[in-house]
Amino acid sequence: MCLAIPGLVCEVVSDTRVMVDITGVRREADTSLLEEALEIGDYVLVHTGFIISKLDPEQAKEDLKLWDEILSV
Amino acid sequence: MSKNMSELTTNYRNKEIVDALITKIKLVNAEIDRDIRIMHVCGTHEHDIVKAGLRSLLPKGIDLIAGPGCPVCVSSAQDVDEVLWVADNHDVTIATFGDMMRVPGSKESLYQAQGRGVDVRVVYGVSDAVKLAEKAPERDVLFFSVGFETTSCVTAAEVLRTKLPNFSIYSSHKVIPPAMELLMQRDDIEFHGFLAPGHVSTIIGVKPYEFIPEKYNFPVSIAGFEPVDILLGIYSLLKQIKNNEHQVSNDYKRYVKYEGNIAAIKALNEAYVISDARWRGLGVWPNTGHEINEKYGHIDAKKKYSIPQLKSQDLRGGCICDEVLIGKSKPHQCKLFKKACRPEHPIGACMVSSEGTCNVAATYEEMVWEE
Repeated sequence: MCLAIPGLVCEVVSDTRVMVDITGVRREADTSLLEEALEIGDYVLVHTGFIISKLDPEQAKEDLKLWDEILSV
Repeated sequence: MSKNMSELTTNYRNKEIVDALITKIKLVNAEIDRDIRIMHVCGTHEHDIVKAGLRSLLPKGIDLIAGPGCPVCVSSAQDVDEVLWVADNHDVTIATFGDMMRVPGSKESLYQAQGRGVDVRVVYGVSDAVKLAEKAPERDVLFFSVGFETTSCVTAAEVLRTKLPNFSIYSSHKVIPPAMELLMQRDDIEFHGFLAPGHVSTIIGVKPYEFIPEKYNFPVSIAGFEPVDILLGIYSLLKQIKNNEHQVSNDYKRYVKYEGNIAAIKALNEAYVISDARWRGLGVWPNTGHEINEKYGHIDAKKKYSIPQLKSQDLRGGCICDEVLIGKSKPHQCKLFKKACRPEHPIGACMVSSEGTCNVAATYEEMVWEE
């Protein structure tokens, strides 16, 4: 059941709910299991209606560097 | 930061990076003087590995084994039987995930029971089951909750906040790290490293796996689900094996923090207690279950309904799911595979879920298992 899917926060609906764009389909998701606040433009993982993780943009940038290394050798 | 969504995923499927990683994997593999077996414990990993054809890209000498990572597949027949007993003896609506509908109980599945009039509804998540109960207060709703930590923390959120007299939860939750330890302790399977489940890890973080290298000198890589993610995980494990190093390598840092998801962990620890759990075909595994804390007994279906001890049967008709689940046998070694047992009419649980090892092998129809 690890069907967590990446999505893009496109609207903050309330303290505990946001709208997430998942490959073009907009779904509401519950943010009660996330301590960090979310903003429009954040990338998140949605699992059965709840947000379980937020993408760390600094880490995503590190990934880009890692790939450059991998490709360069 | 306004990265385009498809750009984000596309990069993790980049062919050049995949090719470069395969080359690196081949180089490291050549420096290891024995065959290596890596086990993953995530149905989504199996699904994504097969879908991307990754096994066909790996060099000979690396075997990627599917462990018992599909929570639907390891749901015991007794769990299904108990839920059906409640439905047959009380006026209850059963709500559960789509995948659970065709998991065989000893006599029938929820889908078959629905066919004879039992009220079974498929829901996307626990909150939809709560809504069902809210909309029909005169009707009892039982949510059959199956999953590892990724799913059970979501159910935990409802355990903690929902108090409806007509809503209860039947917990079939399981916990991954202690199951990984039991797999390492078995002497009927041999493997050399774990690919750890990326999404469970977003919840539990890195720490729960640390006992694996510390106690067993065994390498772990926490990996995501895109082809680049999975290959990075394999590469990371091979490097550790070649250098005789043992640690938990977090190779999914963009979503997995060392400390995990604190709010989700709090919810898990508050809503549940660790218990023994039945793993389909594999008996009772100690300390691998998450039962509802008696503090929240009002929402525990096992307390609400006095379910009797049932005699159940996990495997039938030649099914070897018990061997497939721990990587002892591969799907094509089962006599029933793609003959009597197919995705359209599954005999064993491994064929039911889109994350089940046999379903994945049958669906993607390739000879992915090489002798």
